[in-house]
Amino acid sequence: MKLVIGLAAFVGVLVWLGIGLVVAQGPQPEIIVPAEVITKVGPLNLTNTLITSWVVMAFMILFFWSATRSMKLMPSGIQNFAEAVIGFLVGQVEEIAGEKNGRKFFMVVATIFLFVICNNWFGLMPFFNAFGKHEDVHHHVFHEITAEHPHDLVLGEDGHYIEGDGFGGWIMEGDGGLITAMPRTKAIEFEVFEGETPGEALDRYVVFVAKHFADFEATDEELEHPSAEMVAAAAARLDGNDGRPHILLGDAHAADDHGSAEAAHGLASPTLHQTITGIDFEGAKKFGLVIPLFRGTFSDVNNTLALGIVAFLCIEFWGFQALGFGYLKKFFNLNGVNAFVGILELLSEFIRIISFTFRLFGNIFAGEVLILMLTFLMPFLFVDIIYGLELFVGFIQAAVFALLTLVFAVGAVEHHGDDEHHEGHHGEDAGADAHNVHGAAAAH
Amino acid sequence: MGSWMVPTAYLLGIGWYFATCIILGVVIGRWADAATGFEPVLTLVGITIGLAVAMVGGIRMLLPFMRRFGTGPTE
Repeated sequence: MKLVIGLAAFVGVLVWLGIGLVVAQGPQPEIIVPAEVITKVGPLNLTNTLITSWVVMAFMILFFWSATRSMKLMPSGIQNFAEAVIGFLVGQVEEIAGEKNGRKFFMVVATIFLFVICNNWFGLMPFFNAFGKHEDVHHHVFHEITAEHPHDLVLGEDGHYIEGDGFGGWIMEGDGGLITAMPRTKAIEFEVFEGETPGEALDRYVVFVAKHFADFEATDEELEHPSAEMVAAAAARLDGNDGRPHILLGDAHAADDHGSAEAAHGLASPTLHQTITGIDFEGAKKFGLVIPLFRGTFSDVNNTLALGIVAFLCIEFWGFQALGFGYLKKFFNLNGVNAFVGILELLSEFIRIISFTFRLFGNIFAGEVLILMLTFLMPFLFVDIIYGLELFVGFIQAAVFALLTLVFAVGAVEHHGDDEHHEGHHGEDAGADAHNVHGAAAAH
Repeated sequence: MGSWMVPTAYLLGIGWYFATCIILGVVIGRWADAATGFEPVLTLVGITIGLAVAMVGGIRMLLPFMRRFGTGPTE
């Protein structure tokens, strides 16, 4: 009987996976670490993670405004929920920091917790990383090859690329404008190699485009080192027939509006003995990379760093507020070995910012990558499990960030040496969290 | 937060703190070596300082826990 149930479960998993792969497979994700720029506002980049954080802020403001709009003595509905959340947080903070300090730290700690948890859970919504702008990657690739000073590569005096791993252009099928990533689309990448001249890169690019967009036969080896005949054959394939990209040759006036920007950077092909001013994709399959409009706020290291700096500044402010300039005695001490320990503690204060930053960024970014990859590789079943895990991780990371801010704050306001001499003072020391959680076990 | 949640979060945080201190020491040491040409002296100095900061900071964070569980130094 057990064997039958086990077999049925196994078959069920396989069927479920099969259905997922047939009907729900996501596009092949391209993992891009920096947040994508959606638009520019003056000199500032408006990134998708920033937009997400604003949406979350608006949601939080709206939520708490609704909860406190007409408060009743006997709360119900949304007010009840908000009071439960805030009451729980007040309890936790006071338990760890004591009533006096707890009230002082509460606003910052609770804000950090709620902001982080809302952002983490928002980032798991299905529309995240799913739709957005469709960036014309072909234009970027062509520009990088033909521009005199490509920004990702350094061009040597002899015209060879001498630095960098090469520019990679990612290409996805789809329509222009605001699109949803097409299921089962595969990303392909074009790379400029070190030591390659722009002309050689251009020749390879012609073969690359012909292979992927005009059914031109070429092996991987041939793509990397195409012969002159192969480049000519590939160029002939891109002859402007319907549904295929076509090469814009010779004089710059032949280029249409789409290619006019590239025309200025037209480049001589060493094998075709002609100048190529652009490749026109009008009417052909589009070349592009989906730039998602929404992306998890803390999958961007700038945002976690900003939050880490805010936490650091608050902790230092509370330290100075409580101890005045005596706070500095923790770090600057001329008493023997304590002088060395003080310097290490000072370093430790700053390392906390980095530790805060990469802890949150690493966890959230890794979760995002995991979900995107599994949506492509094993949709439905495993993604569900990982979503559950990510809900937990989102909560735990919010708790870690808020809790560590609180514990460091408690450490900052206590007098130097308090932890050695007055350990266990209820609610007044850095270790009180453990004391209170394991209160029954604590012996004084 | 459950009774296990606070210590879990706290210890997770300490783990990352250790890692950050050591990695930062190595990265800064490597950078300083590349800039000055003293390789590998400054990398070793960076690792040593990173370890020392991790140890001092880690002990300060862990002492309260060790006391609670009766494995740390008493008052």
